[in-house]
Amino acid sequence: MRNSKKLYITAACAGLLTLGFTGSAFAFHSGGVAECGGCHSMHSPAAGGTFLLVGTDQSSTCLSCHEHAGDTGPSSYHISTADADMPAGVAPLQRTPGGDFGWLKKDYTFTVRGTATTELGETHGHNIIAVDKGYAVDTENANAPGGTFPSNQLACNSCHDPHGKYRRLADGTISKTGAPIVGSGSYDSSAAPAAGSAVGVYRLLAGAGYTKDGVTYNGVPAAKVPSSYNRKEDATQTRTAYGVASAGGHSTWSNWCSTCHPNMHSSGNMVHPVDQGLGSTIATLYGQYVKSGDMTGTAATSFLSLAPFATNSSDYTALATLAKNDNSQLAGPGSSDQVMCLSCHRAHASGFEYMLRWNNEGEFITQNGVWPGTDTTPAAPQFARGRTGAEMQAAYYDRPATTFATYQRVLCNKCHAQD
Amino acid sequence: MNPNLKKYITSLLVAICLLLLSGKQALAQFAEGYLYNLSNFTGVVPYSWATLSVDEWQNEVYVVYQNLVTVFNDNGMEVHSFGDSLDIGHILDVAVEENGDILLLAFNDTKSSVFRSNYRGEPREEITLQDLPPEFAEMHANRIAYREGNIYLASEAQMKIVIVDAQGRFIKGFDLIRIMGIPEKDRADAGFSGFNLDKNGNMLFTVPVLFTASILSPAGEIVSFGKPGGAPGKFNIVVGMVVDSQGNYLVADKLKCAIIVFDKDLNFIKEFGYRGEKPGNLVAPESLAIDSEDRLYVSQGRKRGVSVFKLTHG
Ligand code: HEC
Ligand code: HEC
Ligand code: HEC
Ligand code: HEC
Ligand code: HEC
Ligand code: HEC
Repeated sequence: MRNSKKLYITAACAGLLTLGFTGSAFAFHSGGVAECGGCHSMHSPAAGGTFLLVGTDQSSTCLSCHEHAGDTGPSSYHISTADADMPAGVAPLQRTPGGDFGWLKKDYTFTVRGTATTELGETHGHNIIAVDKGYAVDTENANAPGGTFPSNQLACNSCHDPHGKYRRLADGTISKTGAPIVGSGSYDSSAAPAAGSAVGVYRLLAGAGYTKDGVTYNGVPAAKVPSSYNRKEDATQTRTAYGVASAGGHSTWSNWCSTCHPNMHSSGNMVHPVDQGLGSTIATLYGQYVKSGDMTGTAATSFLSLAPFATNSSDYTALATLAKNDNSQLAGPGSSDQVMCLSCHRAHASGFEYMLRWNNEGEFITQNGVWPGTDTTPAAPQFARGRTGAEMQAAYYDRPATTFATYQRVLCNKCHAQD
Repeated sequence: MNPNLKKYITSLLVAICLLLLSGKQALAQFAEGYLYNLSNFTGVVPYSWATLSVDEWQNEVYVVYQNLVTVFNDNGMEVHSFGDSLDIGHILDVAVEENGDILLLAFNDTKSSVFRSNYRGEPREEITLQDLPPEFAEMHANRIAYREGNIYLASEAQMKIVIVDAQGRFIKGFDLIRIMGIPEKDRADAGFSGFNLDKNGNMLFTVPVLFTASILSPAGEIVSFGKPGGAPGKFNIVVGMVVDSQGNYLVADKLKCAIIVFDKDLNFIKEFGYRGEKPGNLVAPESLAIDSEDRLYVSQGRKRGVSVFKLTHG
């Protein structure tokens, strides 16, 4: 201790003491462009590579902060679990709305009626290329299905603007300039931009004019998320309030995804309807549906984050009211609220094929009241699909299986109630 | 003044100056030599960001990776491993006591627990944490360290550290958010890295998003240093931190792919490593550990395993 005292004093003499960080920004991006040194190494002797990212790829740079070996559980802005924390049989740790990219490394092998099947991890989401972190290009899809975006260019900054230039101004429009960004605009708690100031767009997503590898975005989608969003949903749900906005630099969620997947969009294509009102029949079913065989629910508490809808509103204040994680805002949809890509898919990755929010392979998602698993339901390998019961539960963000029916059918039924 | 005394004082001053100069000299001669990567009989072990600790009495290094603890000797060869069959939760970190007992920090769904095992890794007892004040009771510790009978537990995500005695009784707790003057609302978005101790029980850590490295004394005094940037001596994304036998601080920079060295007065000395394929290059270094003979262990990404350097001081 004597030693440290000495150090304390010498450091003070050398003028190096920086006790307290009053005045500096504590978050990193704060809704806009962050300290350049967090991503670029301008004068490093070994600099080079693309954009002075020190020879590494863009996504590895982001993951330097967004993944951290030694996490004990869902951890704020971390969106990937390190290999070191993910032995076989152990699920990724993060539970963000976008999902943990670690699922891309979870290959599952199982045998059903004598036939061995492998479900490759790469089918669980967007295969961002981050070589340092062990993420490689998708081997199946050379391009975005329904589009031309090349899979070998897929990176964080294919979807997010690394410099966070897009901002929401006080008049509600999105622009790349016009007023300084004062902070993130993603959260229920983010202050609304005052006149002469701006906040970052939802999740620093790419906006109108952002061009990457042959595609150009038309606007940013509107949403709000609770400020604590990376969390288990065993007790209460995390409600991301997706909105519907297309004016003033906005784009609907499905149009945004369709920047790269133009032919997955419903207009003129044989795919599920999106950007379309649920209509009163489906909205009513959503409100009544509790689980397979149980239609006794009340609309006011019917929200399910495994099958979310877009609230037909572009009002960020209204969306912020809905973005809660304490079950205080579980009202189901009205007939004008919409189905969109994220009603069924996550944005980064999920525990399931096609990055779906639930296991759509097989008719049941629960078995005899438990999450299927190689350990929990060894007699039903077609439902466990090589996972342990704990991994399965993790993929449902830790909900107990008793949330659903003893033999629960796929969650398409939340809207369609065919079960 | 007595001429003898004057002469005495003059020679004393000269001696001090010489000492200071030679001190500077010694600092200038800090050098590192790459030795090898930790290996077993099949070759270099391809870890990505394994967590490192040393047994400073035996000079063995402990590598924690995917619930397996592997021990390497001072020639960098694997000698022993354990952990995969233990049912104590997910092993996150270890520390070794003087007598060779191993402290295992495990996390089980909602709670961290500490076990004392013998040198083979067989748990003998659980160390129950006692008398924790409310603000530390819910701590999800993910790092453990040991110094002179005291156990240090740190939660990098929650920005908290506690010191307990060998039986787990609370001695002191530190909430870095308060100590560093960071607003409570930014707790989750801050987070620290590289938790380690120096010989005197001072705590070392970095806060990557603040571009700083810090030294916290058990009395709660803190010194933080660092500036963002790519130039030598500046920080891109700082992670692991250790102190060598001469009191020099070594900080790993994950983006710059370098180890940045400062003397004990925090003057920048040099950087080494850098991304590349040559021996001694580093790819995204993270965890650091150092043994009593100044062998520096550097854990890297891209399955580059753990590189070992020998530090010399001229
Ligand atoms: C969060 C990480 C991040 C931060 C912080 C960041 N950059 Fe970048 N920057 C990137 C990435 C990733 C690219 C590569 C873009 C691409 O691949 O198209 C890039 C590219 C660039 C480019 C060249 C291409 C372009 O988009 O114009 C410039 C110039 C640049 N950055 C300057 C800066 C400056 C100046 C700062 C600080 C004010 C900064 N960056 C902060 C991640 C970042
Ligand atoms: C130096 C560490 C660091 C790096 C590098 C980094 N981030 Fe972040 N990121 C953070 C922290 C801390 C937060 C949470 C606080 C904040 O938003 O400023 C965050 C938050 C975010 C958010 C949510 C922001 C919001 O307002 O909703 C997105 C999206 C994001 N990062 C994307 C990226 C991308 C893409 C890259 C690479 C181009 C990147 N980050 C690189 C530290 C980092
Ligand atoms: C920047 C372009 C881009 C955007 C924007 C984009 N995707 Fe993709 N998507 C791709 C590419 C490339 C692939 C193929 C590579 C892969 O599967 O990893 C892909 C694959 C997919 C897959 C198949 C995953 C699998 O493993 O089978 C789904 C589902 C998907 N995207 C949904 C979405 C949704 C939903 C959104 C909007 C939130 C979206 N995409 C936005 C580029 C994009
Ligand atoms: C295909 C487009 C796409 C890619 C690629 C992508 N993101 Fe995202 N990201 C999104 C969308 C959309 C959201 C909002 C998800 C939501 O709220 O449901 C998001 C959310 C986030 C968040 C907030 C937490 C969460 O998961 O909800 C962070 C942080 C983030 N992204 C960082 C990253 C980083 C770092 C990478 C690269 C490793 C990356 N993203 C790659 C589209 C993408
Ligand atoms: C109603 C639920 C639902 C909605 C809404 C939805 N998808 Fe899908 N999507 C699926 C399912 C289920 C699959 C699995 C393949 C199948 O059954 O057709 C899938 C598959 C995909 C694939 C992989 C196709 C392939 O060939 O590998 C992509 C890409 C994709 N969806 C993108 C989107 C995009 C983009 C949107 C919004 C424009 C969207 N999806 C809306 C349910 C949905
Ligand atoms: C968030 C609510 C929601 C979810 C979840 C949902 N759907 Fe739909 N679905 C709709 C809406 C809205 C329509 C359009 C109804 C209409 O036009 O009458 C629709 C229409 C359909 C149609 C008729 C298509 C047509 O062109 O008329 C089919 C088939 C269908 N859904 C299947 C599915 C399947 C399979 C899933 C699960 C993979 C699913 N849906 C999940 C809301 C949903």
